[in-house]
Amino acid sequence: MSPLFMTLVLAVGLAIFGRTMYQRILLLMALEPADRFNHIKDRLKNMVVIALGQKRLVGRKKERASGIMHALIFWGFCVLLIRSITLYGEGYVHGFQLPLLGESSILGYLYLTLKDVMEGIVLIMVIYAFYRRMVVKPPRLHNTWEAYLVLGLIGVLMVSDLLYDGARFMLITAHGNPGDLHYFNNPTFGQEFLWTPVTIAAGNVISGFSPVGLERVMVLMFWVHIITQLTFLNLLPLGKHFHVITSLPNVFLKHLGYPHEKIKLLDLEDESVWEDETLGVNHLHQLNWKQGLDLYTCTECGRCKEVCPTYVTDKPLNLHDFNDTLKAELYANADNLILRAKLAKTLTGDAEADAKTKEKMAVFKPEKALVGEVIALDTLWACTTCRACEQVCPVTIEHVPRIIALRQGQTLMQGEYPEELNTAFKGLERNGNPWGIGYDKRADWAEGLDVKLMADHPDAEYLLWVGCAGSFDDRTQKVSKALVKILKAAGVDFAILGTEEKCTGDFARRAGNEMMYQMMATENIEVLNSYKVKKIIAACPHCLNTLKHDYPQMGGHYEVIHHTDFINQLITDGKIRVKKSLAGVLTYHDPCYLGRYNEIYDAPRSILGGLSNQGLSELPRHGTESFCCGAGGGRMWMEETIGTRINVERSKEIVAEKAETVAVGCPFCLTMIEDGMKELDKDEQVKTRDIAELVAEHLA
Amino acid sequence: MKILTTVKKVVDVELNIHVENGAIVEKGLQYVINAWDENAVEAAVQLKEANKAETTLVSLGSGDNTDIIRKCYAMGIDNAIHIDDPALAKADSPTFAKVLQKVYEAGDYDLVIAGKQAQDTDAGQAGIMLGEFLGIPCVSNVIEIKVTDDTHIQVSRLGDAGTEIVDVTLPAVITVSDSINEPRLPAMRGIMMAKKKKITVMDLAGLGTSVEEIGGTAPTSGIVEFMPTQKRKGGQKFEGDPAEITAQVVQLLVNEAKVL
Ligand SMILES: Cc1cc2nc3c(=O)[nH]c(=O)nc-3n(C[C@H](O)[C@H](O)[C@H](O)COP(=O)(O)OP(=O)(O)OC[C@H]3O[C@@H](n4cnc5c(N)ncnc54)[C@H](O)[C@@H]3O)c2cc1C
Ligand code: SF4
Ligand code: SF4
Repeated sequence: MSPLFMTLVLAVGLAIFGRTMYQRILLLMALEPADRFNHIKDRLKNMVVIALGQKRLVGRKKERASGIMHALIFWGFCVLLIRSITLYGEGYVHGFQLPLLGESSILGYLYLTLKDVMEGIVLIMVIYAFYRRMVVKPPRLHNTWEAYLVLGLIGVLMVSDLLYDGARFMLITAHGNPGDLHYFNNPTFGQEFLWTPVTIAAGNVISGFSPVGLERVMVLMFWVHIITQLTFLNLLPLGKHFHVITSLPNVFLKHLGYPHEKIKLLDLEDESVWEDETLGVNHLHQLNWKQGLDLYTCTECGRCKEVCPTYVTDKPLNLHDFNDTLKAELYANADNLILRAKLAKTLTGDAEADAKTKEKMAVFKPEKALVGEVIALDTLWACTTCRACEQVCPVTIEHVPRIIALRQGQTLMQGEYPEELNTAFKGLERNGNPWGIGYDKRADWAEGLDVKLMADHPDAEYLLWVGCAGSFDDRTQKVSKALVKILKAAGVDFAILGTEEKCTGDFARRAGNEMMYQMMATENIEVLNSYKVKKIIAACPHCLNTLKHDYPQMGGHYEVIHHTDFINQLITDGKIRVKKSLAGVLTYHDPCYLGRYNEIYDAPRSILGGLSNQGLSELPRHGTESFCCGAGGGRMWMEETIGTRINVERSKEIVAEKAETVAVGCPFCLTMIEDGMKELDKDEQVKTRDIAELVAEHLA
Repeated sequence: MKILTTVKKVVDVELNIHVENGAIVEKGLQYVINAWDENAVEAAVQLKEANKAETTLVSLGSGDNTDIIRKCYAMGIDNAIHIDDPALAKADSPTFAKVLQKVYEAGDYDLVIAGKQAQDTDAGQAGIMLGEFLGIPCVSNVIEIKVTDDTHIQVSRLGDAGTEIVDVTLPAVITVSDSINEPRLPAMRGIMMAKKKKITVMDLAGLGTSVEEIGGTAPTSGIVEFMPTQKRKGGQKFEGDPAEITAQVVQLLVNEAKVL
């Protein structure tokens, strides 16, 4: 078209874009390190399935329509990327073609069709998206001008390209190709326009134009397309549409193995960390670069808040605002953070020399306190760490580790945390359980049951990890007893630690009290390793999760099995037999730390299916989308004073399904849902039972 | 103002304590800071925060008291003295009070804050005896302290009939009730920083006294034997129709318990 103008447009567009991106990357580099470049194969797989495959968009039943809409726009965009290169080439060379995609190859023709159809589909999807935002108005969406602008720009991109091609088509076929325009023409594959139905339709729309008019339309649409594209590119990093650029890398760099980045094992003995406030996240620069990239990538789609138990019950934690606020703070302090990081690089490790540098670094401290001013305390402490948000996030943003790191800063450095936690922490410190009941009473529940202690039977094949609730809480003790009955019926060789067992430290760790957690973990691991324990049956998903995923960081390596998994295996192996005699409507509440954290969904269902004479009926929110009971992340030990109660919200859902028995696999869920039922005055109609209790009652 | 608080390390009485052959079984015991002394430390730290004051803690007893002292440091105490002497192993309240008197005299304090009593012996004497030995005012069971001026404080004490407000001339001894405050759980950072603080450890000789002087060789009282408490019998549970139950219970009260 015009090499000079093309060069000018490209230079300006790319220079501004390059500068913005450079700043964004510098900012990420100013943050803490994160190790995310291992296991490339797994990462590529994630990227293909989750990002390119749009798994979390089209995969959720509840959001299928909008998911497909987004996927089609996304895939359309991917297809059009190749087309764009051809257009930029056209700016310089008349009739520019990409190798393999030119007129001599069938691929070139196939691509033409694909691009043509996709443009049509994207255009329809854009219209549907406008309709959704303006008429349907799903509550999770923020209707911002940015959203409309971007949709508009996408529409312009499609229309301009279709009209450009349409005008070309008319000039060639109806007016004898006056300007010697290029088009694909091959004796075998035929003519370009045989392959492009949407273009022909677009051409027909402007068929009334004279050749001169058509030529003008063509040139105009070419430049409109190019300039819109470059404008679009430059708008992306400024707002939520940055995800167009960052989601692929963000998904590629997502944490592997465990569902999110594991809580960092902090070195508490190092004196300098206490002086320099480097435990947890107290300041913006203590976020790691992947957490920064997460913030860049948030699409503000609101899926996370829609499934969040705190948002649903009117707590102040609104993840999408939480992310947005942090991102804004990050951008507002970008220059200072970058300068600070430069200085940090010059630290030598020599206390005296460093003191001066640290003084200089302190100048770049943000004006606002990260927690308290940027993020409100109530917001930070509302989270139950249930992971519902992470499970649905289409771009795999990890919220929970960030929240826990912020809590670490509060609990360890500032001593700021909900007062009610004090009692539980004190209980841990003194008696190794959050209730604060004398540690010597830990095995009282087992009196008369003839349960062996590890001390007397150190060669037991399995250690039964009872947990604090199973040991001290009256209601949960019944579950422990039921479990013992099952294990005995199956002839399992097991023992308990008795008074040598302590809280795993789960709730302390998730409330940011790494010190208390490490105290508990150190003592437990010492005991477990002294008995050379290999296999553990855990009767609590929180214990399971901590023993299995947290303890290896401190030298505790065990095979940990949840009791539902174990019971299911006993049934499968024929070690115990159950009767299908459970009457009434039976449903199951998936505990977060069993399901979303440890992907145990099938074993409980398989057991329950074998007990109920009318089969298991699922709750509306089940499996990966189960709704939290409200007790995780230390919330069990905090008061819930804002909004409505999470456990009541869940109990209502269970009542609405006309369930007569709701099965659970977690002592916290048991307490919370039973309490919820009491509050609704439904505890007579709906019985909350642990799976172990149901199995013990229906043993054949 | 210079404040001295007294802190005792006691057996955790919330745990089951087993007795064999007239002695307590050591295994499985746990030691903690006496709960009322935690209130005393909190009271001292609050006075320090509200007024200008230097707080010192003294703990008597043989053995390692580092953990409880660290905790008090983390709560905000400035200095700590540990009198560690084997002669204190079997000491009684007057003996402890005598040692405390020596500590007091060595330090020129304005106010001593002690706990109302110790959780292990429930004697409630040491603080009051200290006041007596020193010949200075002593107020027990205090639930509020207000500093009037350099030489006076006003305290509220819980009496049988109500709250008494007492004007006290300093120096003085007060013993505090658990309703005076809610002891803080020290911040983790405080606990770690407290590790660096020095604890002054000395024996009786270091304090400038001797077993004879404090009367340790001939204590006024001593423990002869421990006996386990009798286990209470479980109650009786009635279930069913209220009218029937009432009849049943009345029957039992009349015929078996013979209280009606
Ligand atoms: C915090 C708290 C929670 C309680 N929750 C419950 C509850 O959920 N359900 C429930 O049924 N009760 C409960 N009670 C007990 C109940 O409140 C008392 O039993 C009842 O209020 C006594 O009232 P009164 O006027 O008869 O006795 P009062 O005038 O207070 O006492 C008179 C005398 O009656 C006798 N007496 C009083 N109560 C009892 C008793 N419970 N058993 C035997 N003799 C008694 C005693 O000899 C007493 O000296 C609770 C008590 C407290 C302190
Ligand atoms: S965090 Fe994820 S789910 Fe939440 S708004 Fe952002 S992109 Fe959507
Ligand atoms: S983990 Fe659960 S409670 Fe916390 S923000 Fe996510 S959805 Fe909300």
